[in-house]
Amino acid sequence: MVNEMRASRADYYRVLADRLPANALVVTSLGNASYLWAAMHHAPENFYFEDAMGLALPLALGLAVAQPDRPVFVVEGDGALMMHMGSLVTVGAVAPGNLTVLLIQNGVHAASGGQALTSAKLDLAALARAAGIGQAENVATPEAFASAMGTPPLGDGARFLVLSTRPDPEVVNPPIAFDPVLTKHRFMAALGVPRYVPTMFGGGRLEGR
Amino acid sequence: MATSGEKVADLHRPSEILDTLKRLGFGVAIAVPDSWLGEILVQIEAEPSIRLIRATHEEEALAIACGSRLGGVRTAMFVQNAGLLSMGAGMVSLAQRYQFPLLMLVSYRGTVEDPVFYHVPKGRVTEPVLQGIGLSYARADRHSPLGPQVERAATYAEEASCPFALLLSQEDVQW
Repeated sequence: MVNEMRASRADYYRVLADRLPANALVVTSLGNASYLWAAMHHAPENFYFEDAMGLALPLALGLAVAQPDRPVFVVEGDGALMMHMGSLVTVGAVAPGNLTVLLIQNGVHAASGGQALTSAKLDLAALARAAGIGQAENVATPEAFASAMGTPPLGDGARFLVLSTRPDPEVVNPPIAFDPVLTKHRFMAALGVPRYVPTMFGGGRLEGR
Repeated sequence: MATSGEKVADLHRPSEILDTLKRLGFGVAIAVPDSWLGEILVQIEAEPSIRLIRATHEEEALAIACGSRLGGVRTAMFVQNAGLLSMGAGMVSLAQRYQFPLLMLVSYRGTVEDPVFYHVPKGRVTEPVLQGIGLSYARADRHSPLGPQVERAATYAEEASCPFALLLSQEDVQW
């Protein structure tokens, strides 16, 4: 739920950077969700979206399924969620205990300049619970977010924290190049996932499979 | 693969798909069903080596598949060609932009062989749309065993670092 004295995205990101588990993987949605996180906490284990609005949450779901031993955090926006609300249902059904959704609720399409949302004041935690995500709550302040991050997840399905946030339509200049293929390769190298061995070298398989 | 003495007609083509995915080490399948895909998805659900995820929309399914492949697992998608039409933005700005190798197994509705008339509008635009968005694809050859065709499609996806769609007829995919 949005409230009157909303904190900034950076306030929440400072908490996230402080409390992030050492082996965590982080997926960030388009715009400042990625630019600011890269400025504050760039790491190979970050997967930055440059566009593809609404698809950070389902991508993080697939990642959480493929990497069940790594905590996966995804920063998604309220406008992006509305584009693929069905993702909530899939997250509820798959119920990955290693996935934490951080939903920036700022009430606008911030990444494209602050245009109005279809609906700015939804109770998104209630929506998530109705979709089968039991651990869903509205978070009003960075202090409450810090407290939630300090509480171990129940491991029974995903966690869904709705962060009431001030809009930030001014674009943050990221300190790194946002080359999508580089982002992917850096991330996969950090994970140490098996390499595909081409058929001409006797492969046609992932290494070790 | 069929031996020289084996007739193509002797092979159960949907089983060839499943057997090939298992042999190649596919660990995840993401699906949005249609009437042709219904039963093969039930068979995959019963297969311990492959995790089936049922998505609500094909563009969402595409993003889940990208995430699974990002996490190091070979990933297949099962969708109808209607889904190829509705996932266009995610295809170009996520799957192709980040070069995710994905095997897409597609029930190809609305061709002259499909008795359901309302699929025709999708059938007649599918291949022009795939060409327009630059999605590599092939139509499965019904006169050849299907398993090797699935393997070649999967190999193409990996070695070209892009999604590849194999368009399947009813006898190819309906269990």
